[in-house]
Amino acid sequence: MITFENVTKIYKAETPALDNVSVDIDKGEFVFLVGSSGSGKTTFLRLLLREEAPSKGRIIEAGRDLGSLPKWRVPFLRRNIGCVFQDFRLLPNKSVFENVAFALEVIGRPKSVVKSQVPQVLELVGLGQKMERLPSELSGGEQQRVAVARAFVNRPLILLADEPTGNLDPTTSEGIMTLLDRINRTGTTVVMATHDKQMVDRMRRRVLELDHGVLVRDQSRGVYGIDDSAGSQA
Amino acid sequence: MPNFSDYAFRETVSNLWRNRLMTIAAILTVTISLTLVGAALLLKQGAANAAQIWQRDTQVSVWMAPTASPSEIAAVGSQLNQLPYVRACVYRGQAYDYEEARKLLTPAEFSVLRVGDMPTSYRCTPLQSQDAQIIVNRFMTQPGVQNVRAPLQQIHAMQQTITVLQWVFLVIALVLLLSAAVLIINTIRLAIFARRREISVMKLVGATNWFIRIPFMAEGLTQGILGSGFAALLVYGLHVWLNALGNPNNPNAILTQISVHGWQMFWTEAVLFGFGALIGGVGSSLAIRRFLDV
Repeated sequence: MITFENVTKIYKAETPALDNVSVDIDKGEFVFLVGSSGSGKTTFLRLLLREEAPSKGRIIEAGRDLGSLPKWRVPFLRRNIGCVFQDFRLLPNKSVFENVAFALEVIGRPKSVVKSQVPQVLELVGLGQKMERLPSELSGGEQQRVAVARAFVNRPLILLADEPTGNLDPTTSEGIMTLLDRINRTGTTVVMATHDKQMVDRMRRRVLELDHGVLVRDQSRGVYGIDDSAGSQA
Repeated sequence: MPNFSDYAFRETVSNLWRNRLMTIAAILTVTISLTLVGAALLLKQGAANAAQIWQRDTQVSVWMAPTASPSEIAAVGSQLNQLPYVRACVYRGQAYDYEEARKLLTPAEFSVLRVGDMPTSYRCTPLQSQDAQIIVNRFMTQPGVQNVRAPLQQIHAMQQTITVLQWVFLVIALVLLLSAAVLIINTIRLAIFARRREISVMKLVGATNWFIRIPFMAEGLTQGILGSGFAALLVYGLHVWLNALGNPNNPNAILTQISVHGWQMFWTEAVLFGFGALIGGVGSSLAIRRFLDV
């Protein structure tokens, strides 16, 4: 589903944000991206969203070589990718329903589809009763659920999450993780950048660790820190 | 694509309402800027109209010598009337010039004049004021002609003044047009800047640039058209007010001479509308460009 071939990303001649990273992520995998701040996790996700282009190397995502993808095709690529961010990025003046419906309207889905799919996905994230509320009337956890619903409503092939539990308390984070796990079980590939050690250790999914842009660990069923008992692919 | 047009209409209306303070600011900016542009254009056209009136009224006097024979007087008249650059010539006999002299001279000066002393003359209006000099040159040495007079210096000074005035008003209009464009684009940019987060979310969920751009352009277009509409009304008001100040019974009054005609008013209003719509639509499209590059 995702292939990085010797990918290097350098911003303005400084040290590389990503340094010769090669990795394959299969369809339906759940991958944690770990590492300290500035290790290159966000750059990894930005490259997948085609917000940035690699300085060297090749990225293949959902069968498309991102290097040869013309600019005007980028929106169509993004329609296959859901995104969840630490700061939720909801539209404050739109209701919960409108925020989720927005993702479908933007790609030209008919009204009938919007009317049927939005309540469905809001039920899935447990917000079926709060569709008319504004984001400011929701808790942080609920806002993140809206963001997850918006990311998933289009049934994307890939879901990228950049520290989605970073602003949430442990109990709420647990709920979001359960939600992401459920989405992953529908066949969606999930790539999640996180600092949440407990979560990574508990979930025991594949872990990619970045350090100063270098992929230093690729462990299936890994933990946040180095664990010699787990198998390493790197 | 009824879904998209429905979405674009809904977004445009709700954005205009949601950002009503910015909308009002943009409309006022367009109105004030374009009213100044329209006023400058009106004055430029007014100056051109006044110039035409002054040129039309330029007169060349061909004075015949008191000794000129009737055949010489007739020959001069026939030649003058055949010239392509002479609009019309009128022959003034001794009695007419005597009466004119009465109006121009003091009673003491006039008392020494006799009708028989008066020269006869042709009063000619050239097609263009510049042609006055040609008439002077051509008839100065003609047999029977005593003198040819034309207000050449005045014509020259007037032409220079009008040219300068027209350029001044044109430059003022262009500078105002440019500053209006910058002001309008800046106001639209401010409105878009306030909504950059919304744009980034749209980009993330896969909206194409045109999908994002069109409601913003429609918003800018609406602001531009409304602003230029108000400006057109104000400029029309100015035109009516200036016309009311001019005295139709006194064609020599400056305000009467600089008033503009109906079609000139129409074109001024059309320029304002066109510019308002263009600056609103294109301005918002330009202003949003940098936020689309994600």
